[in-house]
Amino acid sequence: MRDRGYGSKLFLALGALAGIALLAAACGDDDSGGSGGVKYGTAGFTSITIDSGASVKIGISSPTSGDLKAIGQPIVDAAQLAAEGKDIKGHKIEWVVKDDLCSADGGAAAATQILQEKVVASIGPVCSGAVVAAEPQYEKAGVTQISPSSTAHKSTYPDRGAVFQTFLRTTYSDDIQGPVQATFAKDKLGAKTAYIVYDTDAYGSGLRDAFRTAFEKGGGKIVGSPEGYEKKATDFKSIVTNIQNAKPDLVYFAGFFAEATPFIKQLRAANKDVKFFAGDGVKNDEFTKGAGADAEGAYLSLPSPAYTGAGYLTFGTAYEAKTKAKRDASPFVAESYDAATIIINALNKVATDSGGKLTIDLKKLNDEIRKTTLDGASGKIKFDARGENAGGATPVTLFKITGGKYVETPR
Amino acid sequence: MPTLFLAPTSFWVDQFVNGLTTGSLYALIALGYTMVYGVLQMINFAHGEVFMVGSFAGLGAMTLMGGNDLSGPMIALAILVALIAAMAASAALSATLERVAYRPLRTAPRLAPLISAIGASIFLQYFVSDRTQGKAKFYPDVFPRGTVGAGAFHIEYIQLFLIASSIVMMLFLYLVIQRTRTGRAIRAVAENQANASLMGVDVDRTIVTVFVLGAAMAGVAGVLHGLFFQTIRGTMGFLPGIKAFTAAVLGGIGSIPGAVAGGYVLGLAETVGREGLNTIPGVDLGNQWRDVIAFSLLVLVLIVRPTGIFGEKVARRA
Repeated sequence: MRDRGYGSKLFLALGALAGIALLAAACGDDDSGGSGGVKYGTAGFTSITIDSGASVKIGISSPTSGDLKAIGQPIVDAAQLAAEGKDIKGHKIEWVVKDDLCSADGGAAAATQILQEKVVASIGPVCSGAVVAAEPQYEKAGVTQISPSSTAHKSTYPDRGAVFQTFLRTTYSDDIQGPVQATFAKDKLGAKTAYIVYDTDAYGSGLRDAFRTAFEKGGGKIVGSPEGYEKKATDFKSIVTNIQNAKPDLVYFAGFFAEATPFIKQLRAANKDVKFFAGDGVKNDEFTKGAGADAEGAYLSLPSPAYTGAGYLTFGTAYEAKTKAKRDASPFVAESYDAATIIINALNKVATDSGGKLTIDLKKLNDEIRKTTLDGASGKIKFDARGENAGGATPVTLFKITGGKYVETPR
Repeated sequence: MPTLFLAPTSFWVDQFVNGLTTGSLYALIALGYTMVYGVLQMINFAHGEVFMVGSFAGLGAMTLMGGNDLSGPMIALAILVALIAAMAASAALSATLERVAYRPLRTAPRLAPLISAIGASIFLQYFVSDRTQGKAKFYPDVFPRGTVGAGAFHIEYIQLFLIASSIVMMLFLYLVIQRTRTGRAIRAVAENQANASLMGVDVDRTIVTVFVLGAAMAGVAGVLHGLFFQTIRGTMGFLPGIKAFTAAVLGGIGSIPGAVAGGYVLGLAETVGREGLNTIPGVDLGNQWRDVIAFSLLVLVLIVRPTGIFGEKVARRA
């Protein structure tokens, strides 16, 4: 029949088109090879020359204002501490610190500003939302970034498929934190059902997925639908009513302390008994200060090994002397110190000096950083092909808030 | 959330109360928008910041009175002082704005005061954010917790207090507008500025009064917001400001009963409305959708009934 003939031709044409598109997509990301089964995209590695007398610039992208300054500033301070008394073959180290507000837009804007300054490497972004937005820019410029704190799965498994060669982290993925949290919730807290509240950014939604998958795999049940909120939200009343209706054993909060504070107050006003469990974004002294008595009994986890090494003690003492702040007031400071140390060490290895002029090959720098193994302030660090820290054996620590303090609790 | 088919009555009652609570705040703020629009046909986009400054003034007053150490009847006194301080601060700010940012532009094209208002709004947001290092501040956690009610119906003390004080304020405003000389002057100026002036009404003074009255309502809303949600910050006025503006348009901008109705409709749409939509199989709108629902409602109203629920006035003018 005429109709059918036409139809099948159309079908064939569409099929062919789809085939070509798929082929193109498969090839598109494959141009730069990779290692260990990881596919990299193309990074725009160049080399940067530093005139004699000029300083070597390293970027930092971090929230240094607003609610999350309490997370961002300590990370900046720790990185800068690592550079004290150090230089790159006689050249001073200059920090280019840009405020990324912990947001996607801010991360992209800070990346533009940092890259304009011809930095050779960068620390951060601190927040996964900013990382995901900024990765393409660093990749294009060939500038290696080490995030001390971005834990999202998406940071190392980007949507485009090909891994960003220029992204590494000294912290651990939520792929590790999520399952540990799920097991802890089920076995230690006896939770059979959980209700999820999450920040809609890359960090919150990533942690939501990591926890949900692991919790359900372990036989737990997520009750109700996970409820999202945007940063700076204060009205959680409607969510609390849904929680009351769903009657979970545990409320899992994937977000930051700035919203966890009003949330837990509103939750506790209606429900004193349900267990509260959150990730690293909430573990901050600002949370215990802001939520006061309502924070009592809350459980939190950090994707870092218990800091016990000699490196941490040395770092902690120096950090407290410099900043007058407690070393464990906010997480990821040791990871930031290590990230800066790794960058500075690698720079000293790859920078070539000719008559006072430094030349830094960004590809060589990237290779050198990837090869690094460090027994640092935050524990053992080495990177796998994907840019993950593969150094630690049990890189998750759990805490219970007792008497207004974070008390470590066995996992 | 299909499980909500099975949700008990108490769930819907709770969401209804949540809607009334948010709605009360929207309604209180919306009054300021609608009154200013009524007399000047101008949208005072800095009104959300008037609300924010009221909230900070209330926090300051409560902190001075003892903050978290307050107890017993002192709590009630501190809240009263906070409300008065907030009304005063908001009123002073709003009167200043009128004098500095709007009055010089009263005869300018209609876009000019609007832009001036947006400028004032941004200035105030960032000024306060800067002064507070962009951090959230917390109201003292002193309001007694607990619920009152019977059977499926129960309501938290703080929600009851919030809804009740909003209604008292709105009734007070209604009486001022309908039963006093000042109110009559306001209605006259809203009707026709030139004629009112000829009848011996001091137009400038009346306009300031309108700003002050609207600001007082916003100041009360600021303290209630602080007591209820406890977290306040320099940028807190923006979203409630836009929502209250939406409420005013929903109700019919320029109409006082309209602003109140619009506020409650919006508050209920965000809570009961969202959960209602979630009972439809396959629909799962998380809390992050509440703004989408609110603004979709605005678009819908503007298409179907551009004058809003109570607004015939605008149509007649236009």
